[in-house]
Amino acid sequence: MNFLEVKNCVKHYGAIRAVDGVSFSVGRGEIVGVIGPNGSGKTTLFNSILGQIRPTSGHMEFCGEDITGMSPLKLSRRGVGRTFQTLQVFGKLSLRDNLIAAAQEFRGTLAGRLLAPPDAGLGRQADEMIELFRLKHVAHLPAGSLSYGQQKLIDIAMAFMPRPRLVLLDEPCAGVNPALVEQLRELLTQLNQSQGGSFVVIEHNMDFVMRLCPRVICMVEGKVLAEGRPDQVQSNPAVLEAYLGN
Amino acid sequence: MKRHLSLILPLVAIALAPLGLKNYGTYLLTLWCVYVMAGMGLNLTVGYAGQMSIGHAAFLGIGAYTAAILMKLGLAFWFVLPLAALLCFAVGLALGFPALRVQHHYLAFATLGFNVLVYLFIRNEEWLTGGTFGIPGIQRPGLPGLSLEGSRPFFYFTYLSTILLALILWWVIRSPWGRAFAALRDNPIRAESLGVNIMAYTLLAFAIGAAFAGIAGAYFALLVQFIEPAPFHVTASLMMLLMVIVGGSGKFFGPMLGAALVILLPEWLRFMKDWYLVIFGLAVVALMIWLPGGLLSIPEKFRFKRT
Repeated sequence: MNFLEVKNCVKHYGAIRAVDGVSFSVGRGEIVGVIGPNGSGKTTLFNSILGQIRPTSGHMEFCGEDITGMSPLKLSRRGVGRTFQTLQVFGKLSLRDNLIAAAQEFRGTLAGRLLAPPDAGLGRQADEMIELFRLKHVAHLPAGSLSYGQQKLIDIAMAFMPRPRLVLLDEPCAGVNPALVEQLRELLTQLNQSQGGSFVVIEHNMDFVMRLCPRVICMVEGKVLAEGRPDQVQSNPAVLEAYLGN
Repeated sequence: MKRHLSLILPLVAIALAPLGLKNYGTYLLTLWCVYVMAGMGLNLTVGYAGQMSIGHAAFLGIGAYTAAILMKLGLAFWFVLPLAALLCFAVGLALGFPALRVQHHYLAFATLGFNVLVYLFIRNEEWLTGGTFGIPGIQRPGLPGLSLEGSRPFFYFTYLSTILLALILWWVIRSPWGRAFAALRDNPIRAESLGVNIMAYTLLAFAIGAAFAGIAGAYFALLVQFIEPAPFHVTASLMMLLMVIVGGSGKFFGPMLGAALVILLPEWLRFMKDWYLVIFGLAVVALMIWLPGGLLSIPEKFRFKRT
């Protein structure tokens, strides 16, 4: 049984077919890359899967359960996490509080959290994540005051704090310097091995995708143009023409 | 140690202040306590949870009228106080629902409309609220062996209640709830994707804030001993919002400082007679331009300049 199954996902905005019948699946512990030109419907596909927008038609299953149109809150409770294309941290909270906030709602009941210790018992896990992402020196600073690259790392670390079973990462390398990109690739590989979750990664950095994802999907104009091993997709003439160029 | 002292010294100074004040001064200090209670609630809704409310005076009114009406019927204050808080909590939950659909100025107008509704109700439903004639002769409760009729004992009673309420708020803010409120304020879309129940926390932010105002309203009724609709008008809600913003929205001591300024500044400017409102208005304009983060942001501003 596939972990995530997307069947014929369609999202129309009037006459615009942002996502036009996309089907794909993700296995347990698998990392799948999604590439394609700007406006090819990658983020709309993510938003349709993750309940941010309601798909026009189609069917999605996670671990055999129908999740079509399910709210982001319910999906998060089922172990589905995400990062966004743009920075999405809690700017006034410290980095450490951002990480605790990312996981505290999965602990106990709402009423119980009022009586829980301030760190909700997550202080140690947050410190380990800070250590892993090499952000100890800025752990107590407001997240909004940190550099773009550091906020990008926090954003990703937050998605992994609740130990999700599936994470959809939307352009994790956008605006990140080459050294940090390599660090990010190592971190994601490490998290994939330690937490055992499945990832779907939208990314334009081909080198990053080739080295991280054993399977790649290329989308063009809302449709899947090619799917397969990175080297197969990279040498596909249709992909070269529509996206990668010569 | 320094931090403890900076907390204890003002607490002691305020406690000693009535010894050197006449009745009116003590009344103003007690009024400050009442507005601090309400302001702390509004700070939770607006400052910590990032919602908007121009209807907080309505809850002050609901609390005051609940206390006055029930006490006139012979119920004890100790029974009436939690009832006023609970009623405001429930109405606050209901007012939170528009916040789930609209934000910012739309929400501001929704809460403003609610305030107008409550104001018109207490002004027009004379059979229940006394209308514009109000409810006179509200008796203060007594403590075993101690009467609260005098201005000084009543101040200490209100002061201790304010400290107790502040401790409750401190607990809420330090708990994981406080972090969830901040997440809701800073980025609700991200918060929801991380399991934060936006609906529950938005409603709670309004309900808890309203309950604080309801408690403040009950103390207000005891303080003035005669209530009428005017103190619960939309202008009072704006003044409360001003207290929170001038002090420092989302900062624990913001409403304390803001309430002191909004209550005391008109008193200090009294010698200016009709000009006082002009000066008061200009002072607020100047403050908002130079210190949009409120008075409590002054240390941050200096730290920023030095670095």
